Amino acid sequence: MDAYFYIILVVGLVSSLICLIAGILKKAPNDTTILSVAAVELSLLVYLVGSIIRVAGGEHIAGEPWEFWGYLLTALLLPVGAVYWAILERTRWSNFVLAAVGVTALVMAARMNQIWY
Amino acid sequence: MTAKPSHEDTGTTPGTEPAPAAKDTRNTGPGRLLIAVYAVFAISATARAGYQILTKFSEAPLAYLLSAFAAVVYLVATVSLAKPGRTWFKVSVVAVLVELVGVLVVGALSVFDSVNFPHETVWSLFGRGYAFIPLLLPILGLIWLYRRRPAPKQA
Repeated sequence: MDAYFYIILVVGLVSSLICLIAGILKKAPNDTTILSVAAVELSLLVYLVGSIIRVAGGEHIAGEPWEFWGYLLTALLLPVGAVYWAILERTRWSNFVLAAVGVTALVMAARMNQIWY
Repeated sequence: MTAKPSHEDTGTTPGTEPAPAAKDTRNTGPGRLLIAVYAVFAISATARAGYQILTKFSEAPLAYLLSAFAAVVYLVATVSLAKPGRTWFKVSVVAVLVELVGVLVVGALSVFDSVNFPHETVWSLFGRGYAFIPLLLPILGLIWLYRRRPAPKQA
């Protein structure tokens, strides 16, 4: 597991926790929960840029490269899709949708790390 | 005494509450979370089945066809849950029931006949590889569908 994974681990867990608590407190999605999901997106973008630099610098992906990039691009779409889905109906349940993003990104980052090494 | 407006409990502005005619939907409240989780499974199951079939189909055709079948079930469940109306409700019920039977049968086969079912699918070992969410999802789905079932037809 590399630094990219640990960044997403921390950001993803914090984001999921914030959204989960907001949902339990019966709050609709607000700046805090949406920005926490944006932070997940940002850390995934860091992973993307970092990975492009590493491959350009001659590093080799141990597993299937297209599987790695497939995971990364799908993960990048998740926060966007979830925020879109959440603000269409702003109820407490949308915060649970947002809470799913961090955990899912974390699982996908773990898989991406497995493929890379 | 006048009733207080209670728009803060849903977070929506007053007047945008679903009209009685829009009752026959399942894409609201907890349903949105359900659909979101189904969508994640639809994407991951499709990607996984596609990968298995394209790269190593001959290793275990039955398991990988099962993967593809599971992917289709998740796709149908996601779309039908998001759509309003009686027909989509029926499609949802069938999809979620097929999913429940699938996870139970494939789960049991992978436990009792692991020689013939050694290859991973979403439903192997009752979805253990996915934190048992595949087992939980159809049960929650059926509860949700029951609670949001369409009103009986007018005679």
